[in-house]
Amino acid sequence: MLYYRTAILLLLVTTLSHAQNAAPTEHELVQQLVQQVTALQQKVAALKARLPPVAPSSNADLTPQSVTTPAPQVVENDSPPVSLSQELHELRGFQWQGFGEADYKVLNQKIPELGTYGFDSGSAGNFYTGDFDLLLTARISDKANVLSEIAIEEGDAQSYSVDLKRVLFNYDYNDHLRMSFGRYQTAIGYYNSAFHSAGWFQTTADRPLIMEFASDGGLLPTQAVGMSFTGSIPSGRLGLNYVAEYGSSDTIRPSLNGQTLIDENNGNHINIGLFVRPDFIPGLQIGGSIYHDKISDFSKGPDVRLGQMIVNAHVVYIRHGVEFLSEGFFIRHAYENSSLVYNTPAFYSQISKQFHRVRPYFRYQYINADVGGVLDDLDLRYGPSFGVRYDFTDSIAFKTQFDHTVRKDEPDLDGLHTQLVFKF
Amino acid sequence: MPAKLIVRIDDRIAIWLAITFIAMASLSSVVAQTGVVAHPGTMVVAVVVNNTNPVTNITTPDLRKLFTGDKRSWAGGVAVRLFVRAPGAYERVVLLKLLGMSESEYKAYWTARVFRGEAQAEPVALFSNAMQKEALTIFPGAIALIDFQDVKPGMRVVKVDGHSPGEAGYPLN
Repeated sequence: MLYYRTAILLLLVTTLSHAQNAAPTEHELVQQLVQQVTALQQKVAALKARLPPVAPSSNADLTPQSVTTPAPQVVENDSPPVSLSQELHELRGFQWQGFGEADYKVLNQKIPELGTYGFDSGSAGNFYTGDFDLLLTARISDKANVLSEIAIEEGDAQSYSVDLKRVLFNYDYNDHLRMSFGRYQTAIGYYNSAFHSAGWFQTTADRPLIMEFASDGGLLPTQAVGMSFTGSIPSGRLGLNYVAEYGSSDTIRPSLNGQTLIDENNGNHINIGLFVRPDFIPGLQIGGSIYHDKISDFSKGPDVRLGQMIVNAHVVYIRHGVEFLSEGFFIRHAYENSSLVYNTPAFYSQISKQFHRVRPYFRYQYINADVGGVLDDLDLRYGPSFGVRYDFTDSIAFKTQFDHTVRKDEPDLDGLHTQLVFKF
Repeated sequence: MPAKLIVRIDDRIAIWLAITFIAMASLSSVVAQTGVVAHPGTMVVAVVVNNTNPVTNITTPDLRKLFTGDKRSWAGGVAVRLFVRAPGAYERVVLLKLLGMSESEYKAYWTARVFRGEAQAEPVALFSNAMQKEALTIFPGAIALIDFQDVKPGMRVVKVDGHSPGEAGYPLN
């Protein structure tokens, strides 16, 4: 026991000697410790005195109250005792999460079409690793936190590049105003807000083509740098929410045949969305958004600009193991100082149901881009995908997916995609 | 090319609209199952908040929003701090029924929320109601579900849908 006390004393002496320039004498140290113990005793006594003596189970003071919940008073002392703070490790510091995948994909057509990640289109089949995702979050206070998502993407010939997919400073003022600043995924539709790079979160092995990242041949400006605001709008049981974004998307997307890079040279976009999550149907979300920007079409001249408007409507239901996603898009490109207008309607619907560890799914997607517009490399294409996801554990899953894509003036495209996803 | 303001509506878009409509209509059969939590047990779970929180009543939808992280602030701006019991506890079973999720869905849900930046962390899972009580004492915005038999003097129990624990119509059974 004496040895134990001596060891603690030596430890304290060492610590204090590093904290102060002039090392205290033993007597001073003992005095400091006595003062600290006294202060702690006073604090304990004060906390004990605060405890109300009334038993709550009487419920005598519990009167019904309307929907709004009053604010609790903030007490000065918000520092938990050591034992609990160790348990509540989320209070301070960084948190890392990792997400990875290993894919095998084979197509029945050898006519080159944009592959994703390391997939070498036109061959019998390829293995590739997709995105290796690292999510870093740090809590700054009860209302503020920082999030960053770093993806290591496989490119051609097993080359890898690092992409800071997202870096966000988030501040929750209250439920009606939540702010984010930095690089975010645009809230065009549901999918882009809900699913990010990590394939782990997706039921399917890939994103719907309409929601594919622009850098992988997708149609939409999926990422931007700027500011985003969201929150609830007082609406009773309707559960109305808003989202508003203003930023620069500056998208460069490869054409689907992989031969050209299309620099849209975007201006600043504005995106406004509304959605409801009604209390009377938990799990349901219905909403829509309107996105507007100005982009360039360098294929028609160095100064040719056109207005880009993207209208979205979506219905989502996720509850009791059922996942139903359905989104429709209308993309309109109108050239400035011209009557040229190109319209691209698109949609996808996806449904799945969890049976223990197995989740079979079905998806149907459709894109019909106007010929001559900036998206005409897509033209008309549609078709079903079906597959199954099997969750070995809460952290490892395997997916198998078959795709059939009908393409205008080109042979149909059939594909098999298997994917192992994991998180850690 | 002349300006085109009308979207081409072909058969496939029409079929998609029909499928979406049918799916929406079929949800009406689900609605009846999702009103309140119902569990054929004799245990009652209380909703307990920090003593400084003046709230006295919470509706079931608001409770669901709190424990799904959709409602992150109390009125006045104090951040909500969720505390839940670890898997295996009865309070956990009631929580999952409230949310309509399985254990793995619950974990996946919170992992996704953190990934989307909508939550700072999954709610802290504590191994005993004594720890929950300790947490409720410390954090002004704390809320937890606790077996009513374990509710001790000094803990602030709130009504749910106007009912106290044990009363007829109390949903967290």
